Amino acid sequence: MAKYERQFYPGMTVPAKNRRRFIDPSKKLEKLRDIAMDDVVKILGHRAPGSDYKSIHPPLDEGTEPDCSIRQIVTPIEGAKKGDRIRYVQFTDSVYFAPAIPYVRAQMYMSRLRGIDTGTLSGRQIIEMRERDLEKIAKEYIDNETFDTARTGIRGATVHGHACRLDENGLMFDAWQRYRFNAKTGQVEYVKDQVAIPLDKPIAVGKPMDDKWLKAHTTMFRADDVDMRADPEVMAQNLRLHTLRTLCGYKPFDVKGE
Amino acid sequence: MSSASTSEQVPLPEILIFPARLLRAETTEKLLNKIYSVKNVNHITVSGEDLPAVLGSGPGKGKANDHPERQVITVQGTEVELRLLVGRIFVEINDIDNVPKAVEDIEEVCKEMLPFGFNLEVGRYSKFRPTVTDYKKNR
Repeated sequence: MAKYERQFYPGMTVPAKNRRRFIDPSKKLEKLRDIAMDDVVKILGHRAPGSDYKSIHPPLDEGTEPDCSIRQIVTPIEGAKKGDRIRYVQFTDSVYFAPAIPYVRAQMYMSRLRGIDTGTLSGRQIIEMRERDLEKIAKEYIDNETFDTARTGIRGATVHGHACRLDENGLMFDAWQRYRFNAKTGQVEYVKDQVAIPLDKPIAVGKPMDDKWLKAHTTMFRADDVDMRADPEVMAQNLRLHTLRTLCGYKPFDVKGE
Repeated sequence: MSSASTSEQVPLPEILIFPARLLRAETTEKLLNKIYSVKNVNHITVSGEDLPAVLGSGPGKGKANDHPERQVITVQGTEVELRLLVGRIFVEINDIDNVPKAVEDIEEVCKEMLPFGFNLEVGRYSKFRPTVTDYKKNR
């Protein structure tokens, strides 16, 4: 019997290939910018940069945890070892060719990260994680190609805007205006943290990518660009998922002959 | 069947301007003033994305929402508090016979003011008589 080889996403169109690349943990995502860790911490707004992490339980190496086979199997992440609080970061993706979309984010996170809880909503995707690990992950996903400074937002609350038209500067609508376009520098800068508490000084996160780049890096099928119907393999796979779901709900393995 | 009332109000036509981008306050102010200068324009209504005055949720709930586009604009000499980022503009024309010329004039204004693109449509989009809800709420 042939060795099982893990597969990630079907299809040969640009969004399909990008989805496969985002989800496959063996593929390194392109790093586009390098935002200082202190600035990431300020945007997250959970603690002041340089302050101690608050803990919710004693460090695991103090040995106060009960004996448990699962604890022996699973290697704890750094924040869990230290007893950090669970904190969150939430990304909003515009329907106008943002690189990532919430469902792909969920698949990407589950495929690439350990120790997270993630939730998918129509336009946003939350990551909940131990605080010190969350900060590293937040920086990684702000720095890399899944983030465009104009079409992706870091929004903890009132995330509305992913399906609105862009504003005159090409930025996704934000009722709380957490970030703005600086015409002098050509960069987007955050003036509020993810829950709209004003920052001491603006944090520049870089220039928005142009439409050509966005269309080459998006994971979004759109009728006005690459239509999902243009990719027969993706369509066939989606149809198969729906068929199995219809026939046998959450137990597709019980369907014989499909 | 009883005969219908002959005094039924006939709505005036509207031209809908649908910009490809949400408009800044400054653009909105200039655009509205230019459209009001077009002949046979009765009235303009705008709609768009709400810009709340205060934060409605999260740890900053109740604090002022400092949004640069929420500001007072001057339309035909009258100060108006703009509480949204404008996405649709409804221009009421005083007679259906004047619509073709008004569309031409408004298109000229839009070409100048909205370089990112726009759509124009003719129809009736805003209410022209009180609804049952208005009646119940004594509006």
